[in-house]
Amino acid sequence: MLLYEYIQKNAQLYPENIAIIYQKERLTYEELALRSDAVSGYLAENGLIKGDRVALLLENSPEYVCSFFGILKAGGVVVPLNTQLVPRELGVLLVDCTPKFVITDSSHNQSLVGLIDKNSVILIDSFDFTMDCGLWTMDYGLSDSDLAMIIYTSGTTGKPKGVMLAHRNLDANADSIINYLRITASDRMMVILPFYYSYGNSLLTTHMKSGAALVIDNRFIYPNVVLDLMEREQVTGFAGVPSHYTILLHKSALRKYPLITLRYVTQAGGAMAPSMIKEFQDLFPQIKFYVMYGQTEASARLTYLEPELLVKKSGSIGKAIPGVELDLLDETGSKIKTGEIGEITARGANIMLGYWNSPEETEKVLKKEGLWTGDLAKIDEEGFIYHVSRKKEMIKSGANRISPLEIEEVVCRMRGILECAAVGVPDEILGEAIKLCVVKNGANMNEKDVLLFCKQNLAAYKLPKVVEFRNSLPKTSTGKIRRSELVYSP
Amino acid sequence: MEPMEALPEGQIKKDMKNFIKENFLLGNDSTLNDDDSFMAKGIIDSTGILEVVSFVEKTFGFRIEDDELLPDNLDSLNNLTSFIARKQGK
Repeated sequence: MLLYEYIQKNAQLYPENIAIIYQKERLTYEELALRSDAVSGYLAENGLIKGDRVALLLENSPEYVCSFFGILKAGGVVVPLNTQLVPRELGVLLVDCTPKFVITDSSHNQSLVGLIDKNSVILIDSFDFTMDCGLWTMDYGLSDSDLAMIIYTSGTTGKPKGVMLAHRNLDANADSIINYLRITASDRMMVILPFYYSYGNSLLTTHMKSGAALVIDNRFIYPNVVLDLMEREQVTGFAGVPSHYTILLHKSALRKYPLITLRYVTQAGGAMAPSMIKEFQDLFPQIKFYVMYGQTEASARLTYLEPELLVKKSGSIGKAIPGVELDLLDETGSKIKTGEIGEITARGANIMLGYWNSPEETEKVLKKEGLWTGDLAKIDEEGFIYHVSRKKEMIKSGANRISPLEIEEVVCRMRGILECAAVGVPDEILGEAIKLCVVKNGANMNEKDVLLFCKQNLAAYKLPKVVEFRNSLPKTSTGKIRRSELVYSP
Repeated sequence: MEPMEALPEGQIKKDMKNFIKENFLLGNDSTLNDDDSFMAKGIIDSTGILEVVSFVEKTFGFRIEDDELLPDNLDSLNNLTSFIARKQGK
């Protein structure tokens, strides 16, 4: 199924069903279809052709959803951009994906100055959604193997990689998730995860396909506000990364909310301490807790653990989701034995087409065995998988996966810095925070100077929490930085 | 936690402004107005707000309860100042 057909189908099946709840706005499927048509009509009239990329630089909002489906209906490829990126970072992505248009709003437009022709920028907050384009019968000749999205992820090389996902990749993953979470048209999902991440994007696709509602709120900084909304809107689902659950359990009034309509919660985006999961379950034994694992290259999801097995299989990421086959392989491509460590490889209709403009990077991960995820794991006698570590050095902070190299490349451009290394250090809330170890080249600088430079060149979530000045960095005999020694030093 | 002597609102605002400036604006507060929302301006994220809470508790000597973690209490210099003054007056 093509992704925009979700909206067409549900506008016919459930025209009056609420699709989006955002602040005081409530958008039905019928209204969503009409607004998406207005976007696709505008794009087509202004020269968009099949395969053209359209970047989306927007917070979660009804406008994001209308633009998303409007781009797809016009045959375009959605490229969601992280709204936290600074102009330098946005510039790298825009040069890479060469979008025909960027859809943004007045508050983010400033970040695009000098990066893209202003005639290519569509300001969605002044867009006329009432225009009638009569596009219901237009045929763009799309098939489900056509590219639907490019989602950028942090690459281990420091250069972000554009994950190419076809309609059928995202649709297959949506079907699978709907199946195991048993999502129906009567569900209401609380959305605090940004749609520009694949986890957030999967909330969009699964619920829009099911005719369900998305309750959007971008204010998780004040979790009680979100909890009030969950209670008021009687949400049935919640999705978060471990740091969201840490904040809910320890820095909010969660215990004062009965949440009687909440049917299930999901957790992905890194390992969550089993003790924390137990704490949540003890508080809300009636709510099903789904531990899940995946990556953008798999359209989002690869495994889940049945809530009933959380205690028996504590620490496991479960088994493959429906429609996905997983193996744990050694470096020669042979299956490992129970108890040994191997790399998770995956096959299924959800696996990406490859990396945009990067055939060499694609070849490294898409091989005859399937997608090599870079995640190392063990498997028990009953086939349950236990994640052990990432093969490559990545920092996982909150919902973000950050390449140390990307930070290091930026910092090393600062005058007076000889070398540096970024590492993840344990953090009570974020899981990992960034520590930057710096060797100066005799220059007179302090922590604030380094942080200011970082702030100008890196998104806020990539900023170091700690800057440590050192005389040298510990290295192996081959000159490789011994990062583990930097975590707890000095 | 030891209760401390109540400070005038002008001093509370000055202390909070300095803290926000040093920790979130890296010394540059030229764009921060007293009624600017920290959230809307992207100044503070969900872990940053916890740092603010910790600073307020240590500096002004009272505990912020979980159900007081609300934008009306914390989401601007003016809101913070009024909230701290109210708490100190109790």
